[in-house]
Amino acid sequence: MEGDVHTHSRASWDGPPPLPVERLRVERCDSPTPGLVEGTEPGAGQQAAMFVHSRSMEDLMAEEEESRGGPQPVAEGDAGSSETTSESSETSETSETSEKGLQAAKERSSLAEGRTKEEDIYSEGWRSHRKHVFVLSEAGKPIYSRYGTEEALSSTMGVMMALVSVVEADKNIIRSIHADGYNMVFLSKSPLVLVAVSRTCQSDKELIRELQYIYYQIVSLLTLTQLNHIFQRKQNYDLRRLLAGSEHLIDSLLGRLDRDPGLLLSAVTCLPLPSSIRDAVSAALQAAKAQSLVFSILLAGERLVTLVRKKDQFLHHMDLHLVFNLVCSSSSSFRDGEGWTPICLPKFNTAGFFHAHISYLEPASELCLILVSTDREDFFSLSDCKQRFLERLRKRNTYQALNEAVKTPSYSVDQVGIPELRHFLYKSKSSGLYTSPEIPERYRSEEEQERLMGLYQELHSRLHHSTRPLLSIYRCGETENLMAWLTSGFELYLCLTPLGTKVQAVSAVNKLLKWIRREEDRLFILSPLTY
Amino acid sequence: MSAMRVDTKVVMLGKESVGKTSLVERYVHHRFLVGPYQNTIGAAFVAKPIHVGEKVVTLGIWDTAGSERYEAMSRIYYRGARAAVVCYDLTDSSSFQRARFWVKELQNCEEHCKIYLCGTKNDLVQADKSVRQIDFHDTQDFAEEIGAQHFETSSKTGNNVDELFQKVAEDFNDSVFQLIPPGEAGVDLGQKKDSYFYSCCHNN
Ligand SMILES: Nc1nc2c(ncn2[C@@H]2O[C@H](COP(=O)(O)OP(=O)(O)OP(=O)(O)O)[C@@H](O)[C@H]2O)c(=O)[nH]1
Ligand SMILES: [Mg+2]
Repeated sequence: MEGDVHTHSRASWDGPPPLPVERLRVERCDSPTPGLVEGTEPGAGQQAAMFVHSRSMEDLMAEEEESRGGPQPVAEGDAGSSETTSESSETSETSETSEKGLQAAKERSSLAEGRTKEEDIYSEGWRSHRKHVFVLSEAGKPIYSRYGTEEALSSTMGVMMALVSVVEADKNIIRSIHADGYNMVFLSKSPLVLVAVSRTCQSDKELIRELQYIYYQIVSLLTLTQLNHIFQRKQNYDLRRLLAGSEHLIDSLLGRLDRDPGLLLSAVTCLPLPSSIRDAVSAALQAAKAQSLVFSILLAGERLVTLVRKKDQFLHHMDLHLVFNLVCSSSSSFRDGEGWTPICLPKFNTAGFFHAHISYLEPASELCLILVSTDREDFFSLSDCKQRFLERLRKRNTYQALNEAVKTPSYSVDQVGIPELRHFLYKSKSSGLYTSPEIPERYRSEEEQERLMGLYQELHSRLHHSTRPLLSIYRCGETENLMAWLTSGFELYLCLTPLGTKVQAVSAVNKLLKWIRREEDRLFILSPLTY
Repeated sequence: MSAMRVDTKVVMLGKESVGKTSLVERYVHHRFLVGPYQNTIGAAFVAKPIHVGEKVVTLGIWDTAGSERYEAMSRIYYRGARAAVVCYDLTDSSSFQRARFWVKELQNCEEHCKIYLCGTKNDLVQADKSVRQIDFHDTQDFAEEIGAQHFETSSKTGNNVDELFQKVAEDFNDSVFQLIPPGEAGVDLGQKKDSYFYSCCHNN
């Protein structure tokens, strides 16, 4: 039960990987602490990163806002865990079980997810949802509710708005209310107010992050300029008129937040692909350019194949997730025809719309091409870009190889060859990409999958705690052991068999990092291109 | 293989969920998708070749989203259209108000665009007369007044759908003939097409 302190040397991995000697690799391995420094970790791209990885001004301010005057965290160390914080703030934590996680899983399994709009808001079922999300205008008008109709909830939302304004009247800001096992978190983003009511073990910070996603989803549909304009003209405007038909985007984003490690890690995952094929696909995309084109994105389902961008323009991972959400939850619109839709990428610019050409390479294919343009009149030239891209793919036989990779299942954790290891998430910070094996059999049911995500969420929120951040965590549980490790280069989460020891876990980390290094050119995009 | 050349631009307009996408699906893919309805996002484009007599005319069909959110930028979708299929749901009178709005908009901004009023979901009305909210004859009168064609269709059964688009293609074909001075047989349609193609996506 006692915590102990890791040092870099113990948990780092030694020696160059015994594999093809490329210039890049040699350089990387020559660095004194390979993998620990941002830019040299496995998965780091050769050139400039694809995404904005430094955080935007807004992120930093949001962070600051939270730590300032935010509510004190709920007592640490419940659920029988203990931790020590050393001077270096490099800490590890051990706990017997993760009761919270188990309990949450039990609750979850008894609930059927799905949009049940007509739900009776006075029913036990409505109350027992794990996480409610409400969006309202500053005038207290309901805009969105995850469960139940907005009409039925208008008085509830009125009360929420009253709470916000009473506190604000004193020049304070309401952050959260903790009562009776519920966390109620407020995010005020004029002209909207977002509220989460949660029974999960997520921290306020994590809940705020999720509310931010929802906020940006709405901005992405309307632009902030339009949103402000509307409410300046008419304070009690019913925004549902403009969001009609898009509620499912918010629903699916909330579902994704519960399931998709990418949103948790602020990263995206790639389709595993031999680097020669990926490079050929990127080159074909790069060649199929148009004046107005800013980003060309090729997706295989929810995984990134490649992304080519205009020089000096970066895409924020959050914007990319919003694009994923749009494409994946409205796929039927783009299956057979070509979509042409305005989309605001709020992390890029909240004021204006880009125009996205969205189409599947073939009606039955999982491969979806998104061409983001600045010119709303440019549909036909983008349509032409797509044709040129396809022609080139076909001519070089890249297309066939790509299609085969799409059909091949990702990779199983067995391929890593570490018996104690059940599952992991690895994020390369400088590339903004993460990799993770297929969910193993035992975690494949919906409840188990959500429970596993819940465990990762909890680790994540501990590592990134706003007042007491940790660099590493080791935790023994009844059903699994967990390990998390944060360096300046990467973020790593391991799910291990409960029978293993800590020594084994540390050696698993070393082996895993070596494996990822060996596989990095298949799992990551090492040479992103620009046009 | 290059992008299909398009002879004329057709735009689908109308309130959300009146059945624009279903109409295009039925016409282009001969199917009716049951299951939860998915709103169109922005607009979807599909090119469809159609026989008119001996010739093939390729319609470039723009299926727009009915959501009010896109109203401000609807012009990019209907600009330069030669035909607009303005849809309303026979079982929803509010959708006809919206159809009138589109008619006015087209009259003001696209005077060369022919209007086809289309009452959708005819199968519902045929199964139960009492659900009809839009009178056939009133609409017929309205259509004559504005110089529009009038159809009632069902995407579920396919009733009248091909006829609608066939008429659109024929009217286009006739109008092309009118534009060509007699004596210049062996029309260079390609020329015409290209210039049209250019003007419909690049003007102002
Ligand atoms: N019974 C019947 N239902 C129809 C018919 N056409 C469409 N529907 C239904 O009406 C709903 C909306 O159809 P869509 O074609 O998606 O409507 P839309 O006009 O494209 O809507 P937006 O994209 O939001 O503007 C769907 O549930 C369809 O199944 C029809 O001819 N008969
Ligand atoms: Mg539609």
